[in-house]
Amino acid sequence: MYSVLKSEKGGVFAVRSLLKRLLTENMVDAVFVAAKTPYSDLPMPTLISSPENIETADPLAPVAPFNASRQASILLRSDTGKRLALVLRPCEIRALIELVKLKQCVLDPAILIGIECKGRMENALFLEQEKQRSGISISFYQDDNLKEMICSACNVCDHFQPVGTDLTLSVFGVQISTGIGVEAESETGTDILKKMGYSDVQPPAEREAELRDLQQQRLEAKSVLMEKTAEDIKDIKRFETLIANCLNCSNCRVACPVCYCKECVFVTDVFAHEPELLIRRAVKRGMIKMPTETTMFHLTRLAHIGHACVACGHCTSVCPSGIPVADFFITVGSKVQDLFDYEPGRDINEPIPYLVFEEENQ
Amino acid sequence: MKRDQINIGVYICHCGMNISPKVDVEAVAEFAEGLAHVRIARDYKFMCSSPGQEFIIDDIRQYGLNRIVVASCSPRMHEATFRNACETAGINRHYFQMANIREQAAWVTLDTKEATAKAMDLVAAAVARVTYHRPLESREVKVNKSILVIGGGIAGMQAAISSGNAGYQVYLIEREPSIGGHMAKFDKTFPTLDCAACIMTPKMVEVGQHESIRLFTYSEVVSVEGFVGNYSVRILKKPRFIDESKCNGCGICMEKCPIKKIPSEFNENLSFRTAIYSPFPQAVPNTPVIDPDHCRILAENKPCGACEKFCEAGAIDFNQQPEHMDITVGSIIIATGFKAFDPEPLVQYGYGIYPEVYTSLEFERLNNATGPTGGSILMKGGDFPKRVAIIHCVGSRDAQYREYCSRVCCMYSMKFAHLVREKTGAEVWEFYIDVRSPGKLYEEFYNRVQKEGVHMIRGRVAEVTDILDDPENSEDKGRLTVVAENTLTRRMLRIPVDMVILSVGLEPAEGAGDVGRMIGVSSDGNGWFTELHAKLAPVSTVIKGVFLAGCCQGPKDIPDTVAQAMGASGEAVALLSKGTVMTRAEISFIDPDLCAGCQTCVEVCVYNAIDFDEGRGIATVNELLCQGCGSCAVACPSSAASIKHFTNRQVMEELEAILI
Amino acid sequence: MNDQFEPQIIALVCNWCTYTAADLAGTSRLSYPSNVRLVRLMCTGMIDAKYIIKAFLDGADGVVIGGCHPGDCHYINGNLKATKRIYGVGKIMEQFGFEPDRLRLKWIGASEGLEFQKNMAEFIETIKQLGPSPVKSRMIL
Ligand SMILES: Cc1cc2nc3c(=O)[nH]c(=O)nc-3n(C[C@H](O)[C@H](O)[C@H](O)COP(=O)(O)OP(=O)(O)OC[C@H]3O[C@@H](n4cnc5c(N)ncnc54)[C@H](O)[C@@H]3O)c2cc1C
Ligand code: SF4
Ligand code: SF4
Ligand code: FES
Repeated sequence: MYSVLKSEKGGVFAVRSLLKRLLTENMVDAVFVAAKTPYSDLPMPTLISSPENIETADPLAPVAPFNASRQASILLRSDTGKRLALVLRPCEIRALIELVKLKQCVLDPAILIGIECKGRMENALFLEQEKQRSGISISFYQDDNLKEMICSACNVCDHFQPVGTDLTLSVFGVQISTGIGVEAESETGTDILKKMGYSDVQPPAEREAELRDLQQQRLEAKSVLMEKTAEDIKDIKRFETLIANCLNCSNCRVACPVCYCKECVFVTDVFAHEPELLIRRAVKRGMIKMPTETTMFHLTRLAHIGHACVACGHCTSVCPSGIPVADFFITVGSKVQDLFDYEPGRDINEPIPYLVFEEENQ
Repeated sequence: MKRDQINIGVYICHCGMNISPKVDVEAVAEFAEGLAHVRIARDYKFMCSSPGQEFIIDDIRQYGLNRIVVASCSPRMHEATFRNACETAGINRHYFQMANIREQAAWVTLDTKEATAKAMDLVAAAVARVTYHRPLESREVKVNKSILVIGGGIAGMQAAISSGNAGYQVYLIEREPSIGGHMAKFDKTFPTLDCAACIMTPKMVEVGQHESIRLFTYSEVVSVEGFVGNYSVRILKKPRFIDESKCNGCGICMEKCPIKKIPSEFNENLSFRTAIYSPFPQAVPNTPVIDPDHCRILAENKPCGACEKFCEAGAIDFNQQPEHMDITVGSIIIATGFKAFDPEPLVQYGYGIYPEVYTSLEFERLNNATGPTGGSILMKGGDFPKRVAIIHCVGSRDAQYREYCSRVCCMYSMKFAHLVREKTGAEVWEFYIDVRSPGKLYEEFYNRVQKEGVHMIRGRVAEVTDILDDPENSEDKGRLTVVAENTLTRRMLRIPVDMVILSVGLEPAEGAGDVGRMIGVSSDGNGWFTELHAKLAPVSTVIKGVFLAGCCQGPKDIPDTVAQAMGASGEAVALLSKGTVMTRAEISFIDPDLCAGCQTCVEVCVYNAIDFDEGRGIATVNELLCQGCGSCAVACPSSAASIKHFTNRQVMEELEAILI
Repeated sequence: MNDQFEPQIIALVCNWCTYTAADLAGTSRLSYPSNVRLVRLMCTGMIDAKYIIKAFLDGADGVVIGGCHPGDCHYINGNLKATKRIYGVGKIMEQFGFEPDRLRLKWIGASEGLEFQKNMAEFIETIKQLGPSPVKSRMIL
């Protein structure tokens, strides 16, 4: 079922009124959505229960300070009996689904509202742009210059349509200054739209073409990026040049939505080397860089979660040394995913590849 | 952070002339002396000899060594020897590592220099590893000296008797009203043709009267929890509606019951029973049950109570309720047996269409002295058959149904042929694919049956039909025609017969899968329980303390069933006889602070050794079940699980020492 | 290629099959080049991706993993569970210039001393053809 939510003030207002009705009509107990706090222009994931506060919600702003799936998974840790509507980007939903597979959270209490995503800007760039012009949440969808400003991972993302949602907020083929489309993807979603009295209409004619064009454009960009990155890492020396400035700060790991270990092995005693060993290494090799294990860290992380990488790009965004972590995660990750014919977040019932094995082998 | 002082002693063995001329042992000892933490390094002629071990023990005491490396033969050979020496000297047996410089260097390297260099690397690796060894302990855990046997066929009965004779408390659970299983339905058994009842009834009585066996018939196991030595088992006793303690088995109730037309399951529906019934006269226990689906009072709420009226013992109790019993056992023997293949889907054989087509079990009853015809092989009309066809491999060796060979059908088919010839003088045709008669006296029996004039025809039967070749022939009137190709003579045959017996194959018992899931024992693609090792552990399962007996593990004849039951009982008794079981030292450990609760480990562990603690949201290892395979450690995305003595750190140090 | 090049080979082997096969090769005096260093583990199912990555980063020219044939694993299916993981790591290492042939997975049963000898010799030959590992010339990690 596809409906159009109209608002003279633009799509954000249409979304807000939908979320508000979810609360006022007691369909949910709270809404989890990116919203501006009184303290900053950067929308942060926020849990809103009072209908008035919905006015701060800004899910269409082209920014995401971090992948919200982790915060969502904290809220969904167990079924509390309270209903929650969660407004998430496609990469956030895909990460959330991986976390469900790893039993980090459950979806029973959730109504998933996905956003068709045209990309996000890096935080600093967004704040700068927001200062220069107000209403970026609308202009972003109209001004092609702004679209150029999305971060590199978004630029190669071909998963801009969310899957596994109840409702999908649709921006393709829609004049965002007049409203937004909404598509029900599940029975729950259809019920909600019906209860609210929306009618089923034909999606705008331009929608399909727009989606197709973007898909093609993104796939092209992706293959360019993958080719370039493959070249940059194609031998270990080049790779080490690429990550030469890595501080072992672990920011990338913290930002990674699917790297959910409580404590990473790299901080356990497995890698707490004795001084003798480090000196022995230095003696053997002439010199060693410290901290050590930088290469080991990145390769191990790839081996751990390469199959689950949802390509959200937050690792690159948080790296203080400007290392394009996401680029090689996307490149290597997709090789692993192809090997196992696995796509993270595609289907909640698709088992994690390492946990199923064929009886017959080789 | 101050580390404990690590003092390593390294011992290089000459192994007589086996290591030393090829490997320069003195050079290796000198090299070892230069490695981090090594306090002392020596070489000696025979490290495994008593003086060699004494050497280590003395050094440990004299120099305060707390890690030992011996470079000699394979740890598969002498690891235990040196670990014991460590323990004797007062350090933990896991503070030891062996470098295998004989099998891996001296014996397989042609060049002396290369062999010495390799030996040095292996010693360096062992030294690096042992530095990170941790003291490990195994623990003794008390076991409950009792055994649960599920299934009261010949397998379960034998397992119960053998275990009971060893003095263990046995609980035998049978879901039917009587024990006996399939064997109780037979009249004769191949190849000796001894009377089944004669060898079976005394065993049934023995089970019923054995002081160590507690028999629960008409009962099922509904849950099993715990682990080796300590399984908590819940048993459901279905209501018999008869007070077992009062009933004296006189049987008057069955005579008086007015509901007389219920097909008898035991007689394969070839005769009738009453609503209050005992499946067969020799049933153990001989307490009847009331079938609540047919009893006038219980099923229809109509007045009756005939049985109650005549029961002098006052044993009838229409208010009996299902009862739960909880027991604790140390070990479990599964003996749930088989069920016969249902031939109805093979429409070409006409079962269920033509009344004179029988399954083998029906024939067993037809031939049985206590069966519907008193043991006369009669057709439905009451006449003796003159021509009988027996079709082998029905449902077996058939890619569409069961690919496997059911192992007993060839033999029982020939038993039938013999009995038919003996009792009726009829002509018998057997249609087989191959005759399989491996077993003591089996081939001889095959020869005997052939001599008795049975026609053995090699060929799968295409069809059983009531269309006659020559309808005019009055002799064939009412007969069936068996159509087959004799593959030896390449001739099509159409043989008119009076009776057809289908030698149906064996399938796992109904509900066997549920029993397996409850206990954690897996089944193969056909549903037979999987033994731990096909050759070396045929009665054990992956679950420690759980054993298999009889046909539940795969089709087999009575001799094999009984042997396996005795084997399973022997294993269970051997396990429990010490009164305790030792935990392994080299097992998984899940760090509760690191566990993210993803339960990945629970999924990968084939031994069900990991439980999930819902309360704390973490996984915990059962040290009695864990075999230390390490699957959980690699699968754990949090690195919370690790294998003691094979930790990341230990292995990586070993690698680093070799490579850097 | 370089005639002088003597590769360093790490063999991660399970205790029950391939380690035993290596012992048998020893008792049968089946010699093979001395480049291989065995690391004994209880089962291939215990081989962590980190071990393979570490071996390569620390300069191993080749890594061979030896375990029981499918169906023979002492722990039922540790070897099958290992297979995917090992292919996964191999795929990753390949992206960073470690040729797939440098990582080999081989089932060698306890009685296959000859197989062990043959496989080691052959693997060393393969690695010699490939030349030194790309990390060899590095000095910083
Ligand atoms: C037609 C025919 C003729 C045969 N003739 C011969 C012969 O002449 N000679 C010979 O050596 N072999 C013969 N066999 C093979 C023989 O029947 C088997 O070897 C033997 O019966 C196996 O015994 P068992 O105890 O394993 O299984 P079963 O006899 O099947 O006994 C299993 C018992 O477990 C009970 N049970 C099942 N599930 C549960 C549960 N969940 N809870 C509680 N109880 C349960 C069942 O009620 C049954 O009593 C013949 C087989 C057939 C089909
Ligand atoms: S080591 Fe193996 S047996 Fe032990 S808990 Fe882990 S997976 Fe199970
Ligand atoms: S796999 Fe690791 S994190 Fe997951 S439940 Fe098991 S121990 Fe805990
Ligand atoms: S024990 Fe050899 S591979 Fe598992």
